[in-house]
Amino acid sequence: MSQDRPVAELDPIRRLRVLARTLPGALHHAEIVLPVPPERVWAVASDLENQLPLLLSTVRSFTVTRAEGDRLRARAVGTLGQRADFEVVLRPGWCLMSSRFVVGAMAATPEGDGTRFGSLGGFRVPGARLLRPVLDALGDRAVRRFAEHPDLRA
Amino acid sequence: MTGTDSRPQVDPALVRAAQRGDPIALGDLMDLLAPYVGRICGPIARQDGPDATQETLIVVLRNIGQLRDHAALFGWVRAIAVREAVRVAARAKRLSGDPLEEVAGGADQQLATDVGDVLARLSPEHRAVLVLRDLEGVDETTAGAVLAVPPGTVRSRLHRARQSFRKVWES
Repeated sequence: MSQDRPVAELDPIRRLRVLARTLPGALHHAEIVLPVPPERVWAVASDLENQLPLLLSTVRSFTVTRAEGDRLRARAVGTLGQRADFEVVLRPGWCLMSSRFVVGAMAATPEGDGTRFGSLGGFRVPGARLLRPVLDALGDRAVRRFAEHPDLRA
Repeated sequence: MTGTDSRPQVDPALVRAAQRGDPIALGDLMDLLAPYVGRICGPIARQDGPDATQETLIVVLRNIGQLRDHAALFGWVRAIAVREAVRVAARAKRLSGDPLEEVAGGADQQLATDVGDVLARLSPEHRAVLVLRDLEGVDETTAGAVLAVPPGTVRSRLHRARQSFRKVWES
């Protein structure tokens, strides 16, 4: 039996769903299907330094300060000048970012001729549920902006 | 390969960080456990294996704070994986009649050319017994506790499942 033992795979989109239902705090989780292959989606999504300030109106800059394999350190500067250091795990189809107060993640998996793209963002602070409306608005806008990227059109 | 062989090393510091709710640690723990969970959910839930793996890891990570003895991590995860795999497979309504009878008789036996075909004809509960006893190497009492059935039921399910395999090999 062991030779033919089927192994169930947990693709990045499913990994994101697991985190969306387990991470503490308030989270916004969204998925969309884009009409381009995963490599093209990930070329845009993984360009954190250029894309995050475009997608998130609260981020002025996001700078990678250290990289070792799939582990990065980055410093984000907000539009009001506030700074936050992020731990980042970045590999094809998967990105998880965490600072003291904020968590973010992205995932991409092939679907048909296109790609299912998922995003997750939220606050780790107690009482973050109160920020839910802000979070949902930010998250929805970020996903919309991402889908409108010129490289992600069919 | 037995279940014990396939277990990765897990740093206790990683489990403690995950228990504190650290997102990176929760992600790393998920990455470490996913292949092990997939090897349990795959044979039991078959085409619903990815769903079962996802549901298992949700239960595991949500409840990781309750794990006191870190050495018990894999036994705990295994029990959740088996239960979720059986539940997800049953929910998918792919369980009908007595699949063992289908294996035991009929011309379809000729089509069962590999183990995967035979496994697909067993019920999720019988597949769970095979996974626990033959692949994970747990005793009947432990298997019974995981499946919430008496050890005698584990024995009879295992006997019937193995008998089904033998009949197919010899057909």
